[in-house]
Amino acid sequence: MGNLVQAELRKTTTTGLWWGLLIPTAVLALGWGLATGLLGQFFVDFASTSEVDDVSDFLGVSPDQWKVSLFGMARAINISTIFPMVFGAMAISGEISRRTITTTFLTAPSRMHSMLAKMLVYVLWGAIYGLVIMLFVSIGVVFTSESGQLPDAGGWAMLALVCVLSSILMTMFGVGVGALIPNVAGAVVLLLLYFLVIENVLHGVLAYLEVPAVIGFLPNGSINGLTGSVAVDLFLSTAGVVPPEIENVLRAIAGAGGALDWWWSGLVFLAWSGIVFAGGWAATQSKDIT
Amino acid sequence: MHDGSGLIAVQNLTKQFGSVTAVHNLSFTVSPGSVTGFLGPNGAGKTTTLRMLLGLVKPTSGTATINGRPFDQLGQPGRVVGAVLEAQGFHPARSARNHLRVYAAAIGVPDAQADQVLGLVGLGSAADRKVGGFSLGMKQRLALATALLGDPQVLVLDEPANGLDPEGIAWLRTFLQSYARMGRTVLISSHLLAEVEQTVDQVVIISRGQTMFYGPLDQLRQSQQKRVLVQPSDINALAAALRAEGVQTIEQLPDGRLAVSGVDSKYVADCALKAGVSIYGIQEEQVDLERLFFQLTSGQYAGYAPAPYQQQQQGGWA
Repeated sequence: MGNLVQAELRKTTTTGLWWGLLIPTAVLALGWGLATGLLGQFFVDFASTSEVDDVSDFLGVSPDQWKVSLFGMARAINISTIFPMVFGAMAISGEISRRTITTTFLTAPSRMHSMLAKMLVYVLWGAIYGLVIMLFVSIGVVFTSESGQLPDAGGWAMLALVCVLSSILMTMFGVGVGALIPNVAGAVVLLLLYFLVIENVLHGVLAYLEVPAVIGFLPNGSINGLTGSVAVDLFLSTAGVVPPEIENVLRAIAGAGGALDWWWSGLVFLAWSGIVFAGGWAATQSKDIT
Repeated sequence: MHDGSGLIAVQNLTKQFGSVTAVHNLSFTVSPGSVTGFLGPNGAGKTTTLRMLLGLVKPTSGTATINGRPFDQLGQPGRVVGAVLEAQGFHPARSARNHLRVYAAAIGVPDAQADQVLGLVGLGSAADRKVGGFSLGMKQRLALATALLGDPQVLVLDEPANGLDPEGIAWLRTFLQSYARMGRTVLISSHLLAEVEQTVDQVVIISRGQTMFYGPLDQLRQSQQKRVLVQPSDINALAAALRAEGVQTIEQLPDGRLAVSGVDSKYVADCALKAGVSIYGIQEEQVDLERLFFQLTSGQYAGYAPAPYQQQQQGGWA
């Protein structure tokens, strides 16, 4: 198994795809980080100068101590992890399209070994992407935010944890979809459409039908819940008692409307990844490689 | 694990793709120490059979084993069997050396083996070039290098001469023969008998997914009856004389010669002398393996000969 993991690792490092996708990931994360700080600053300035004292009273802290950066960071992580997902999606679909899968299967004890080795390597890559995303989001946010709006040390650590987790899970989901749809363009387009358009429309419909709780069980809803719920929790931990309506608004701002607790969200998305990977596994296991 | 015999055994192998039967009840064995040709016209089921042997395609029924085991039970297959298959891909952005290092890691052989096989197939100077810029022949050599990485006991090659220049084909021929002489097993497919005739010792000929002939190439040659082509001064006199001697298989060719089967030219000449017939020309027909191959594999995908034009007869219904 160690041999196959090394082989899969070499596959990823001997082509330029890993940095070709990592660069836009870092740029996107940095951009969102910068924008988060600026928007947060704008909002806080607005809140401080106008008659939103009611809200401050609710939250129990003055606006300049609101950790508004948390919401933008959660959003930045959500959007940036699209890239590791695409990277994962190309793991198996790319090999099938280029027909290198033949040699891969000829040199592995079994297809199951190949796929497991691949999954392990892509979990590692997911973690690397996650760390890079966290790094660049942080640089952007720190650059444009007042220190009062930034999380404390524990908050940073918690965000870093869910960022890496989220990135790993998104990569795994991508690997599964890539195995299920053995066509690079097909897998990538479907994933982008689903995560950027289809499920967002679905969220709107579910909210309209007044069953927002379902959102937390959908793939995008649950992965957003992982980061978004942590952001809301961290925000509220420094605020006072907040009425449920306001909390719902905050959750929506964090991109975690209708989501479960962060660890529940993570487990739900892990289940989705597992289902997709199992499907891809079954498809690959019985596939005739002609 | 596997028994290390180097034996390839295909038994009652059948594969159906939907309603199409690609391989039908195929059986043969391939022994170590010789190069075996796996022959048949395009679409006869060669590639499907090899892919079933290599665990890439699941048989509908029957078994295909290497060293007594199906492919997925070989443990470290890369060390037992190496394969060059048609449509085996390379990542165009990966260099030849990196391509080999990926699979060296998978098989579990040292990286130095990558450079060694590159040298072996004559690609040493192209090691750091990206495979995307390789010619078909170079890709074929790289595929062979990949197959040799694990120093396998069994080598399976699907149409390996495709894309190779004459020099490359000559090199491959020598290489495969010496590989087999080391007591290893070499199975090589081709749709042209002539292409592998000088390389192989054994042949398996299939057509329409079924075995048509299976045995040593020499046996195939002998199964073809010799013919003597003779141009006598008097065809009828010679034919009569031969019949009197008990030779029945006499045929008159369109060019005016007689084709006599089952006897040699000396016999025909002696017979003509006794009958007082002059002989203007005589030759023993060379064994034409290609024609035999056509006879064995004919029919599949063969077009009909154009029908002769017939004038419509008026009122010829009776």
